[in-house]
Amino acid sequence: MMDCAQYRRSMLADPHDPDPHLREHRESCHDCTLYSERLLRFESRLERALRVDPVSEGPSSSDNVVPLRGRSRTALRSPAYRKRMFAMAASVLMALVVAGGLWLSAPGTSLAADVVTHMREEPQAWRRTDLPVPDPKLENVLRDSHLRLGAGGGAGMVSYANSCGFRGHKVPHLVLQTEAGPVTVMVLVHERSPKPVQFDEQGYRGVIVPVPGHGSLAVLTRGSSTDIETIEHIAHRVLDSIVWTG
Amino acid sequence: MKDQIGGNQKRARFQALCQSLRPDLLRFAFWLSRDRALAEDVVQETMLRAWKAQDSLQDEAAAKPWFLTIIRREYARCFERKRFVTVDVDELVAREEPMLAAAEEQNLAEMRAALFKLPDEYREPLVLQVLMGFSTAEIARELDLSCGAVLTRLFRARKQLRVLCGEDTSMDPQE
Repeated sequence: MMDCAQYRRSMLADPHDPDPHLREHRESCHDCTLYSERLLRFESRLERALRVDPVSEGPSSSDNVVPLRGRSRTALRSPAYRKRMFAMAASVLMALVVAGGLWLSAPGTSLAADVVTHMREEPQAWRRTDLPVPDPKLENVLRDSHLRLGAGGGAGMVSYANSCGFRGHKVPHLVLQTEAGPVTVMVLVHERSPKPVQFDEQGYRGVIVPVPGHGSLAVLTRGSSTDIETIEHIAHRVLDSIVWTG
Repeated sequence: MKDQIGGNQKRARFQALCQSLRPDLLRFAFWLSRDRALAEDVVQETMLRAWKAQDSLQDEAAAKPWFLTIIRREYARCFERKRFVTVDVDELVAREEPMLAAAEEQNLAEMRAALFKLPDEYREPLVLQVLMGFSTAEIARELDLSCGAVLTRLFRARKQLRVLCGEDTSMDPQE
C-alpha cells in the first residue's frame, strides 16, 4: 500500500501520472487530494509559463541590452560559420524561405497554443454526457458576447457552458456532444484570424476559423481519432447556428 | 518529370512538418539556452540540417524527437565553437524580460524567472515533459538516462521550482 510520501514523490515527478495506485491513494487520503489539487494548479501555471511566445513583439534581447559577457550572438557567428551559412545551395534557400514564412504565420499558431493551454485547464469539460446544460445558464454565457444559438440544435447538444478568461477577455467556452464525441467550441470575438488555421498539438486537434466582424471561432477535439475535415464540418455547423445579437 | 513531382511533394510535406513543429522547437531551444537570439540561431541551423538529412526521417510520427535531438546536438555544437563563461541568472532574466513577461501576468513572469534559475539538468527533462509532452521513457531515451534518474530529476526540478516560486512546500515530501 502506497503511503503519502511515496504518493507525493510520484506526483512531483509526474503530476499527470495515470497509475491506478496513485488514484487509489488519492481517493482514500484527504490530505493528498488537497496536495494534488494545489500541485495541479501549480502545474497549470508551469505549463503556461513554459509556453513563451517565440515570436513575441518587442525588442529582441540582442537589440536592447548590452550583450552578456562573452555570449553575444555576434560572437557566436564566426566568419567560418557565416561563410557556411551563405554557402548553402538552392535547396537550403528554400528552407530559409519556409522559416521566414513560419515567422509570419506563427501568431495564428500562438492563438491555437493558447486555446490548447486553456483546454488543459478544464479537463472536466470533456465528459461524455446526455445531460444538456440548462438554457438560462447557456444564455447567460452567450449574452456577453452578443450571440445565441439558433433553435433546432443544429450545432449539437451543449453539455457544458462557461464564461472563461482568455487573453484578457471573457469568452464563451462550450462543449457540444456530437457524432464525433465531445467537441469544444470557443467563441473568440476579440481574436481576429486572417485565415483558417488547423492545429494538432499537445493531444488536441482543431481549427480556428475567421468570423468576419466577430473575431474567430475555435473548435477542437481531444486526441487524434477525429479527422480535421470532420472538425471543420462541425465548425461550419456551429457557425451556421450562431445568431449574432450585437 | 515524375521525379520532379515527387520532389515537390516531398518538399511540401517537409515544409508542413516544419511549420507545425517550429513554435514548440523554438520554445524548447529557448528553455535550453535561456537566450532568444541563440534559440533562433539553433532552430534555424536545425532546420537546415534537418532539410539536408530529411531522408533519414523514416516515420513522420517520430519527427518531434528527431528534431529535438538535432536541436540538442546543435546547441552542444555552439558550446564547442565558443566556450561560454558562467552566466548571471539575474542578468539573463533582465535581458529576456520582453519574452518572459510580454502581456502575461506577473506570476507567470515569476515562474519563468524561477525556471531560469533551475540547473540545466533539471530544467531540460522538465521542459521535455511539460512542454513537449514526452513520457518518462521518451525523456530517458532522449537524454540517455535511466527512467529512475529521469523521475528523480523531475522530482527535484519541481521541488526546487516550488521553493523558488515561494509556494507552500510544507506538505512536500523529503527526498
